[in-house]
Amino acid sequence: MLRHLFTLIWNRKRANMLLISEVFFSFVVLFGVGAVLITIGKNYLAPHGFDYTDVWRLQVRAGQGQQMPRAQLDDVLRQVKALPGVRTVALTSGNMPFIFSTNNSTFGYEGNTALANVYDADDRYTDVMRLHLREGRWFEAADDASNHRPVVISQDLRETLFGKGPALGKIFTWSHHGPEATKPEDEFLVTGVVDNVRTANDFAAAEPGVWKRLLPHDTTSWETANVLVRVAPGQGGELQEKIARTVAGVTRQWTTEVRVMNDDRLSKRRYTLVPVVGLSIMGLFLIVNVALGLFGVLWYNISQRRAEIGLRRAMGATGASISRQFLGEMLVVTTLGVLGGLLLAVQFPLLGAFDLPAQPYMLAIAAATVAVYVITALCAWQPSRLAAGIHPAVALREE
Amino acid sequence: MENLLATPPDTRPQPPLNSPAAAETPVLQLTNIEKVYQTNTIETVALNRVNLTINRGEFVSIMGPSGCGKSTLLSLMGLLDEPTGGTIAIDGRAVTSYSDRELAGLRNLKIGFVFQSYHLINDLSVLDNVELPLLYRPSLSGKERRQRALAALDKVGLSARTRHFPGQLSGGQRQRVAIARALVGSPEIILADEPTGNLDSVMGEEIMDLLLGLNRQDGVTIVMVTHDEQQALKTKRLVRLFDGSQVG
Ligand SMILES: Nc1ncnc2c1ncn2[C@@H]1O[C@H](COP(=O)(O)OP(=O)(O)OP(=O)(O)O)[C@@H](O)[C@H]1O
Ligand SMILES: [Mg+2]
Repeated sequence: MLRHLFTLIWNRKRANMLLISEVFFSFVVLFGVGAVLITIGKNYLAPHGFDYTDVWRLQVRAGQGQQMPRAQLDDVLRQVKALPGVRTVALTSGNMPFIFSTNNSTFGYEGNTALANVYDADDRYTDVMRLHLREGRWFEAADDASNHRPVVISQDLRETLFGKGPALGKIFTWSHHGPEATKPEDEFLVTGVVDNVRTANDFAAAEPGVWKRLLPHDTTSWETANVLVRVAPGQGGELQEKIARTVAGVTRQWTTEVRVMNDDRLSKRRYTLVPVVGLSIMGLFLIVNVALGLFGVLWYNISQRRAEIGLRRAMGATGASISRQFLGEMLVVTTLGVLGGLLLAVQFPLLGAFDLPAQPYMLAIAAATVAVYVITALCAWQPSRLAAGIHPAVALREE
Repeated sequence: MENLLATPPDTRPQPPLNSPAAAETPVLQLTNIEKVYQTNTIETVALNRVNLTINRGEFVSIMGPSGCGKSTLLSLMGLLDEPTGGTIAIDGRAVTSYSDRELAGLRNLKIGFVFQSYHLINDLSVLDNVELPLLYRPSLSGKERRQRALAALDKVGLSARTRHFPGQLSGGQRQRVAIARALVGSPEIILADEPTGNLDSVMGEEIMDLLLGLNRQDGVTIVMVTHDEQQALKTKRLVRLFDGSQVG
């Protein structure tokens, strides 16, 4: 029977080539769409790596062309922190999460280089943002004595720069520095490693991050200060107004805007949702289309063989042996098509295409394989229903 | 009922045909058979109250004008279709009492069918086509199957065409492949629908002699549809159909 099966497959090679290429293309499309959708879904479900609830951001402006004396800035921070309902305040840079502002650089360590977002942060920053510390510690007052600039880095950056080796206490710098010696504040001393963070939007992948400790003289040329405030749960407009009045109370010319980080997240999500939903709908549409196409081609191919089924029944085949034959044929044809698709698909994780991790690709390969086999099995099921349902004479007449 | 396949081959000198008791053993019994084809609007009565008993070892020919229901009758006898009325009994047991699996076994072991329009599988070589019924007998080895198929092809004079495909054969050659396929399983009953319809008179004679030989020497029961009076005369019994009814 096995020999007969392969004879039949070989003799029907032209029809089978078409089926194989249909399976191949379906597999590739299912894989591609699957990889995109799985990546988006996986990102969406991944933790952000920080806690955006009850975090507000202030943009304190000194006024056109005015700089901020550090003493006054500290005064503002102290007074805001003292307001009832405010838990902690921290200074940072303008590239806060979920807003259209980024700041990145390439860093290097012993030949390893990585692009990373660069955030300014003070010693209170992590109390506000609640980053998840994995190794070491956040920087603190004791670091004032350091000859280098203390930094905390994200796990993904740690892996690229230091691999499996130790990271704490290591010093790295910009990747593009020349032979001339770097300034001490550009030599970054790793004091801690935190979990990966996703700061761009809810659907974005994690990006490497470096949190640079703000040194006092960093702020001297600031015209704007970006302040993060963690408030008690349930705080609203009243506290926002109080904060604005407090800032204006310290210095007449200074103004501030108070924004809720969760609102930033939602509005950024609304903005990114359009392409994501569009892509998903297109992807699902493609999947349904390809599935129906494959189904149609296989179904048609098998319906063409009703007479053959009738004849085999007339020659003494049972319904079960008919199903076995067709399932076997479809299994071989599908496997050939899937093998072709696999050969192409595994290149993506192997070559690390689009700088994505291998896992979504492997998941997409698994999903596409399962989908293609399920569809072909369903189609191969048809002849057995046919064989069981109609008399050989009836099937034979349909030639 | 004893199965002919199970009978030892050395009983040949006394074929069951020659014993009066065996000749009275009905293999196929059709009682009040009615077959109505229902299409959207038209109802065609293809067979109307046909009563027919085929005894073991008989060679029966069926004649009648085109469209009178000969092929319909044959496919009912071959268990390829169900009558709309009446009963068919094989070896004294009603066909409706057989399970699907048993029916498949009967078709495979007991019956060899030659279709009016051959029904060969175009994607299989002549040899593979002839081997087809043997595929559903798991007890046979591949080698045995091959040998028996080659022997059957030899009987119909097609030894030189085993590697051809049906599409590369003439109508008459295809008909002979269909005959070889009906013979290959050494069935107890051969049902042949105009087996010589596409053959020249010489080849037709040869096939007729082949069938007569099977009937006489091996005791194979044969029912043959034919338009050829000469051939019909050579058989033991002639059944005439007219417009779905038996007329003689
Ligand atoms: N599937 C079907 N649907 C409807 N009518 C059918 C069908 N098969 C056969 N018939 C009708 O049944 C009648 C008998 O057909 P059948 O094929 O048995 O004739 P026949 O005696 O074998 O003819 P011929 O000598 O031309 O082969 C015909 O009138 C035919 O039109
Ligand atoms: Mg006919």
